[in-house]
Amino acid sequence: MIGKLVAQDVLKIKRKGIWFLTFLGPFGVVALQMVNYGVRKAYLLQQSDDDWAYYISNVSAFSPFALILGIAILTSFMASIENETNGWKQLTALPVSKMAIYLSKFTVLVMLLFLSSILLALFSLSYGVFLNLGDEIPYLELLKYSIYPFLASLPVLALQLWVATVSKNQGIPITVGVFGVILSYSAYVLPDWMIWKWPSLLNQWNEPMINVLFGLTFGAILYVIGMVDFMRRDVK
Amino acid sequence: MEYIVETNQLTKRFGKEIAVDRVDMRIPKGEIYGFLGPNGAGKTTTIRMLLGLMKPSFGSVQVFQKFLNEDRLNILKKVGSLVENPSYYPHLTAYENLEALRKVYGIPKSSITEVLELVRLSDVGNKKVKGFSLGMKQRLGIASALLHNPELLILDEPTNGLDPSGIIEIRNLIKRLPAERGITILISSHLLSEIDQIATTVGVLNKGHLIFQDTIERMREYSKQKVLLSVSDREHAWQSLVAAGIKAELHNGMISLKEKSDEKVAQAVRSLVHNDFSIYRVEEEKGSLEGIFLEMTTEEKSL
Ligand SMILES: Nc1ncnc2c1ncn2[C@@H]1O[C@H](COP(=O)(O)OP(=O)(O)OP(=O)(O)O)[C@@H](O)[C@H]1O
Ligand SMILES: [Mg+2]
Repeated sequence: MIGKLVAQDVLKIKRKGIWFLTFLGPFGVVALQMVNYGVRKAYLLQQSDDDWAYYISNVSAFSPFALILGIAILTSFMASIENETNGWKQLTALPVSKMAIYLSKFTVLVMLLFLSSILLALFSLSYGVFLNLGDEIPYLELLKYSIYPFLASLPVLALQLWVATVSKNQGIPITVGVFGVILSYSAYVLPDWMIWKWPSLLNQWNEPMINVLFGLTFGAILYVIGMVDFMRRDVK
Repeated sequence: MEYIVETNQLTKRFGKEIAVDRVDMRIPKGEIYGFLGPNGAGKTTTIRMLLGLMKPSFGSVQVFQKFLNEDRLNILKKVGSLVENPSYYPHLTAYENLEALRKVYGIPKSSITEVLELVRLSDVGNKKVKGFSLGMKQRLGIASALLHNPELLILDEPTNGLDPSGIIEIRNLIKRLPAERGITILISSHLLSEIDQIATTVGVLNKGHLIFQDTIERMREYSKQKVLLSVSDREHAWQSLVAAGIKAELHNGMISLKEKSDEKVAQAVRSLVHNDFSIYRVEEEKGSLEGIFLEMTTEEKSL
């Protein structure tokens, strides 16, 4: 059942610019470094002995922010496809459970964001190689700093999907999204418990894995809460 | 009798307001059930509950003799619906819209071309729905409802916003379906004239109450014509008629004769003339279905 719905959702996001955004996000993040290194490469290379590590830290200064922004945009696009002509009622009248409908939306979003993360790793790698940062390419670190923020951002995704699907007024998810983006931009000063800080992988213990585990756990919890609320509500 | 849809004391509250009040709907197999009611009567709310889009506040729904809350997915496999305005994805073509549904039903692709043919959208199948006219969108909605060859078709005001030729076209399409495909149809409307032309069974909903439910013939019986007399001194005229053993009623300042044969009317007139009442007019009122519908819904009492 879920496979059919995912196939349906993939068809529905056609021509909506969603695939383009999935590509644009990671590209934009690396493009910022292209400008950065393009303008002052010599200076930046002086800053550290490990040029790859320094480069990765530069890239990941912007990726959490792009991720949160991407989540806000993608979830609201996803919801708007159904809200536009109240597709929810047609969807709910199909022989599928509301649980599956919600799970399918979440699955497609996770797939898109995961793809974005992989693209981020690929783009970072390519530009790093182009910059000639050294022969010892830290593949694992590159992957880690692309995938970890995504896993740590799952609670934000679950929250945004929930708000976007149950709000009658689409101003609400957009407001939540904008706040999230602003918060993620100021991750340094946020307390550790705020979910918008987690994709930055910062915490008082200096252990990114903590954010990943919290992301997975609270992502699952917020997902279940959102889904139960969605199932409980009447469809207009 | 085998009922395809059967509700028991179906009720829906929104806060204090009761939108649907203890409705016992019965739709026999193979019928076209006309679900009539003025705006805000609760038709759409009832239909939403039949599809499980809304949970009843009280009461139950059975479709194909199975309880909706127990067997919802199995029931919905055999139900096609169009509730209020059609839902569609404007950025997709008509074909893609149907393909999205087909993926979920898991039926062959040929069913898409078939329904497009049926609602005469084959020519524009590959155009984005964004540019469709209202009538085309409505037809696409009906195609979506028919895609998986349902046994029960639920159409909520399917001719809403269509021009006369569009209305006739949809009506003819709906009329053909029970015979050609053996389906049972529930069609709602606030226009009696529309129901009158296609329904075989009628349910009238008013302020959440189902105030009438029977065959269209029974409904038409209520609409038999009346003979009305306009006379001088009507109070006494009426009394003199009753005294003479003629069945009559005083109605809106007119005398209404209960027996309408030529002979009985002549007898009443003769009796009035004989008693020196002036007769201004003798008229026949063709009670229309519209008339009874209005009467039913304004008097708000059960028939
Ligand atoms: N989601 C809702 N929340 C609150 N009230 C509602 C809701 N949906 C419907 N109502 C109320 O229920 C009543 C019945 O509405 P419904 O849409 O079922 O009527 P209808 O018979 O379909 O009318 P129409 O011919 O205009 O389509 C109305 O008074 C409406 O205001
Ligand atoms: Mg309605």
